[in-house]
Amino acid sequence: MTFGARIARWLETPVPLARLALVRIVLPLVVLGFMSARLAHASHWIGDAGFRVPDLGDHWAQPLYVPALPAWAAWTVAVAMIASGLLTSVGLKTRASALVFAATLVFCALSDRLAAFSVSKLSPTLILAVAAGPAERVLSVDAWLHKRRTGKKWKSERPCGSIRFLQLVPLTIYMASGIAKARADWLHEPLVLYSQIHGSYQTWIAYSLARAIPSWLWTTLQGTVLVFESTAPITFAIRKTRPYALVFGLGMHAMIALMFGPVVWFSLLMMTVLAAGWMPDRFFALMTPAARDRRGDLSDTTPRRGPARRSRRATSP
Amino acid sequence: MKPRTRDVRAFEREEKREVWRRRGRIALRVVACAWLACVALDGAGCSAPSKILPRPIAFFTQVAVLFPRAAHATIDYRAEAWICSKQTWVEMDTRPYFPIDPDDKENRFNRAMHFFRENRATMHALDRYIVRNHDDHPGPDGIDPGERIGGVRLMSLRIPIPKVGSSFERYERYPLSHYPDAERKAFYHTPESTRERRCAFQIEEHD
Repeated sequence: MTFGARIARWLETPVPLARLALVRIVLPLVVLGFMSARLAHASHWIGDAGFRVPDLGDHWAQPLYVPALPAWAAWTVAVAMIASGLLTSVGLKTRASALVFAATLVFCALSDRLAAFSVSKLSPTLILAVAAGPAERVLSVDAWLHKRRTGKKWKSERPCGSIRFLQLVPLTIYMASGIAKARADWLHEPLVLYSQIHGSYQTWIAYSLARAIPSWLWTTLQGTVLVFESTAPITFAIRKTRPYALVFGLGMHAMIALMFGPVVWFSLLMMTVLAAGWMPDRFFALMTPAARDRRGDLSDTTPRRGPARRSRRATSP
Repeated sequence: MKPRTRDVRAFEREEKREVWRRRGRIALRVVACAWLACVALDGAGCSAPSKILPRPIAFFTQVAVLFPRAAHATIDYRAEAWICSKQTWVEMDTRPYFPIDPDDKENRFNRAMHFFRENRATMHALDRYIVRNHDDHPGPDGIDPGERIGGVRLMSLRIPIPKVGSSFERYERYPLSHYPDAERKAFYHTPESTRERRCAFQIEEHD
């Protein structure tokens, strides 16, 4: 089978829509959590009460100059962001609310470069992926209303490009991050990881670990992270290494969340996308009982060869 | 002209819709692949995406390069204010005027200094903003609300990273006087003429 045909088959294989639903439910809450400090001061953030960087033309750190909004408009954007984020999460008018949510995120990321971080830049793309897919089909108010109106449930499995995209997002980010790290200091500076855990991000856990862990262990951890990131597309593609890669990825983000105070939101975002994309199908069957009842257990979404792999045991990635 | 039933028209409409849906799906796949490619290329150090794409779009693809370099010091940014009545610099806490994430380096004052400390236009704007805020709506910034300020001095602190295994205190924000001069680096101060003009104007205004 050619590579193109494999990709086409991968894209056309039905996947549990609960994967997309998990992102739809959790991601807006994580993003709103990240935004909460900004939302509480909307007039300082995107409004005219706070400091504004002037129009600098083609300065590298200012992708677009957006003038400050009057206070009432800043608060309107803030309310629209909260309302659309919550509506997306519960799955009411899902597509429209996700599009509005993504639009407010794009506006705020461009309007205030000073308060824009990885979550600000990554979340609009992820929410657009939610809007583009059938995220309302399971575990949503829209699904409940549809069932009440028609008496029928939507299918809980189908081919879904959005889910495939969300599966590829963390792997691409890891690989790119691994390459960037290898090109910079991570291969010849033994204590990059240690050097990052000082300063205002430092939590008690980071402080305790900084004092307790010997330098060789910092270097070992640094090497392990670099190998994990650089090889993520391979380790997640191979069925046998996938569970280990998933556990390592989730553990890595959990440690980042515990050690770098404000980076907790980025970690939660990545953990959500990672879990939604790469947790075994059995987990999602628990979220949508209809699918579980219909098929006993959902098979793995990855196409299989030969009858031996159709056994229940073999389906768990 | 062929006679057409309502069913046939409905079928044709549905067929057209399906064609557009298929085109939409293809367009979305192309956009998704392009975004993933741009993220990967950005990590690999290829500048092509940022040259080809409009800057506001390229901005949303620059998400992967996190902590690539070793930190050689912990960086913090601070300000001093020129007290008109005393004609001296006094440390000023900028946090009341930058209330978002006041206690960490995600604070907007820190970010402004991080990105734009070499940019004079931004430093002038920051200077005006801080002076105006203290004079118009003084917050708990460490300076008597009755004192007028004529300008600011903006600087970074480069606090050395302790050696592995050494005994050290957890990071805490200390007053400027806690840090030796060697750890401070001033990037901007309000020109003397501007300070004098502001202070004179304020005194005249009060008179």
